[in-house]
Amino acid sequence: MTRTRFLPFPAIIAMGLLMSACDVPSSERTVLLPVTDDPTISIRVWFKTGSQCDPPGKEGLALLTATMLTEGATATRGYEEIMEALYPLAAGYGASVDKEMTVISGRVHRDNLEEYYPLFTDAILHPAFREDDFVRIKTDMRNGIEKSLRYANDEELGKAAFFDFVHAGTKYGHLDAGTISGLDAITLDDVRAFYTQWFTRDNFVLGLGGGYDNTIVRRLENDLRTLVEGRPQQPDPPAPAPIDGLEMLIVEKDCDATAISFGFPITVQRGDEDFFALALFNSWFGEHRNSSSHLYQVIREARGMNYGDYSYIEIFPNGGRRQMPPQNVARRQQLFEVWIRPVQHAHRHFALRAAMRELQRVVEDGMTQEQFDLTKRFLHKYALQYATTTSERLGMAMDSKFYGIDADYIALFRRKIAALTREQVNDAIRRHLQVANVKFAVVTSGAEAFRDALVANTPSPVVYDTPKPDDVLEEDTHISNHQLPFTTEKIRIVKVDEMFR
Amino acid sequence: MKPLMFVMFAITMTGGTLRAAPGGDGVFPYAAETHVLDNGLRVILIPMSGGGLMSYYSVVRTGSRDEYEAGKTGFAHFFEHMMFRGTKNYPAALYDRTVTGMGADANAYTTDDLTAYHLSFAAEDLETVIKIESDRFQYLEYAEVPFQTEAGAVYGEYRKNRTSPWEVLFEALQAAAFTKHTYGHTTMGYEADIKAMPTMYAYSKEFFNRYYRPENVVLLLVGDFKTTAALELVRKYYGGWKTGYVPPRIPVEPPQTAERRITVRYDGRTLPLLAVAYKGPRFDVSDRTMVAGTLLEDLLFGETSDIYKKLVLTEQKVQSIGADFGFNRDPGLWTVYAVVKDATDLSAVLGEIDRAVETFLAGPLPAKKLENQKKRLKYSFLMNLDTPDKVAGRLARLVAITGGVAVVDELHAAYDAVTAEDLRRAAETYLTPARRTVATLTGRD
Repeated sequence: MTRTRFLPFPAIIAMGLLMSACDVPSSERTVLLPVTDDPTISIRVWFKTGSQCDPPGKEGLALLTATMLTEGATATRGYEEIMEALYPLAAGYGASVDKEMTVISGRVHRDNLEEYYPLFTDAILHPAFREDDFVRIKTDMRNGIEKSLRYANDEELGKAAFFDFVHAGTKYGHLDAGTISGLDAITLDDVRAFYTQWFTRDNFVLGLGGGYDNTIVRRLENDLRTLVEGRPQQPDPPAPAPIDGLEMLIVEKDCDATAISFGFPITVQRGDEDFFALALFNSWFGEHRNSSSHLYQVIREARGMNYGDYSYIEIFPNGGRRQMPPQNVARRQQLFEVWIRPVQHAHRHFALRAAMRELQRVVEDGMTQEQFDLTKRFLHKYALQYATTTSERLGMAMDSKFYGIDADYIALFRRKIAALTREQVNDAIRRHLQVANVKFAVVTSGAEAFRDALVANTPSPVVYDTPKPDDVLEEDTHISNHQLPFTTEKIRIVKVDEMFR
Repeated sequence: MKPLMFVMFAITMTGGTLRAAPGGDGVFPYAAETHVLDNGLRVILIPMSGGGLMSYYSVVRTGSRDEYEAGKTGFAHFFEHMMFRGTKNYPAALYDRTVTGMGADANAYTTDDLTAYHLSFAAEDLETVIKIESDRFQYLEYAEVPFQTEAGAVYGEYRKNRTSPWEVLFEALQAAAFTKHTYGHTTMGYEADIKAMPTMYAYSKEFFNRYYRPENVVLLLVGDFKTTAALELVRKYYGGWKTGYVPPRIPVEPPQTAERRITVRYDGRTLPLLAVAYKGPRFDVSDRTMVAGTLLEDLLFGETSDIYKKLVLTEQKVQSIGADFGFNRDPGLWTVYAVVKDATDLSAVLGEIDRAVETFLAGPLPAKKLENQKKRLKYSFLMNLDTPDKVAGRLARLVAITGGVAVVDELHAAYDAVTAEDLRRAAETYLTPARRTVATLTGRD
């Protein structure tokens, strides 16, 4: 989850088509991305902590602590004063907290660096942890769960429910924003203790990009080394419980449309050989917010059932609001995820069947040569759009450090995609994807009726408001009778009010 | 105020001219060329370092504002969807395959005043992009069945949006604020009209023929390319596009003379929302009062304003407060909004908004405040022109409203010239109860 205070949109300068790895010189603790004709400077300070480090019963502590740094007072300035000082610079900084990464990032025009520098560094080095800031931020986070997530954004609710469901019982198994009881239990002393434990001189990586000069690198490195000492022990990677058949969590809610997410853990990570093969498959099957997505073609394009249908092999938060993959959400445990944007309740069973059937077909038959060739051409160029600004490229370079990739990631990605064969992709599909053990999270009304229909495998024919071509109608008969072995005991229904408690 | 139709006519009469625009002494850091083809199509070329990438915007100067006929709201947005349905030369599947083969990031959006179609792609594919874009703008062709299918997707989008209390609030607010003008409906359109869309195939063709004409479209090319070659390609592929734009007959909104109030129920849980929407002016860069008024958005209600400090930071009665005093072709809404923590504070927060305006009018504005505001505007603009796509995206609205990019430097010069007296006059003129609609939204307990 990212909280950014009037940070002007992410940063700058398009990437070179043939940028080489040497454009991103790195050291053990510092990632540098010089772009001399960029008039702005991007800074990212990555602390190796995240919501996986929330103590049990204090869920939300990592995000609350990071937000106290970027949206609270420092020892020398009140929060109002900080905002006054940043305002004319059109600059800002914010905190991004995911499961394993906490990144404090900022960006400023180089004309204004000297005014900006002490504000940015004070936020990290000298937070005041004032009670009034604490109450304000904690209340905002609580309202974010209780009012916004539960009630005002069913798409994100469905995805959040799915991730919690798959990771239940692990350190990934709660929202970055925490739980209601966790937030209620957090004290200001907890925040101070978390800061002391995790925001240490031995636990960060500094990133700088844009039109900076080397003096600022040394100055930042030296200043950040005034943090307290400490090499906190990193938690082990989460081990999600094996999925036993088809398991479903239905979030019962009074709503007009059904949101569906499903998937399962995968063992592939960015940089692995199979990652690139799966990335190509995934781009064909469900490229995010792209009409080339196969699922999009089946569910939206041919049948007009919803606004879009996509799949992922890496976490993609805030998918409704962003087009390209985010940075600094690197994780050691990823999922294969399908996201079906809200459909009419009357179409929920059909849409779920359609997506599962398409997955089964590709798992059994693999991609065709034509699908493979077109996707390969697409992805090889489309990857250029993944990170176009200095700030995004810097974030990506820091992710590469997380994954142990010692190269410019987009250049590597394009090389790997260019070298793939259809056999490699289809082998990877067979190795990592399946339809037998899958978890589903569904936000809908009339949960019991839906459960019963799923268990009984009741046919789910669709009555369209408008005529459809014969081939679509013919395929519909197969989809609406597609058998999915759901059982009553593996479908759990919860009221929305009970979520994230 | 010039009648709208006059302004639009004046724009089309500049055909054939060529001039160099920004890139000189103004704040806009890139050189821009504006060309007008004989058929009225305006082409704005902005070469910049893009690392091999280009952005291509087709800005249609038609949005939900142009939907003036009863029962036919939502069509501008619907067309955004239909434009991906193909032509004889490039049926939908071939268009998709072509875009996919280029690895382009292609999308579109619709607002009240414009519809924009945009692609970001490797510069080597420029001719292909010009070819497919010119083709669909001239020869769009779709059958009734896919038309009806797309209507289903649009309704899905509407349902998705309705889970946001803000969507529910603004739908009601706009309907209450405007009695005649088409700003009374949202970009999505009225639900009944969206539901009825599948039956309006014939009208959709008419909509396309009226508005998707060269006189009503501006192309914006930004990134790594040579202007002469690009212009040649544009002439080659768009030169035969037939004129025929039919201006919309948009009713004039009568002056509002008394405050309006509405309460909105949201069928879910949410923090209470407050929106105070003043009738603003139409965009006119030569209108000092209007330009000054847009600065009040941040000066009075931004994150360094007194009301923000009081309500968000000190008393913590509201989760957020802010304002949007934007640019519109016709007089639109300048809205102050707040997310209030407790419904019993809604009227107190409204009172604080009134007090913020009164206090501003009563006392002199510290010179430093205005200076800071101007500095922020400059750097905020400069920091967001870093990629071709961001440059084009940043310019699209002003291009749609004025037809060109010269206005960018004019606007920033106008910001620089704003005085405390201009601000006071703007607040006195626009931020009065008689010009506003106050909407409150509450959810289920």
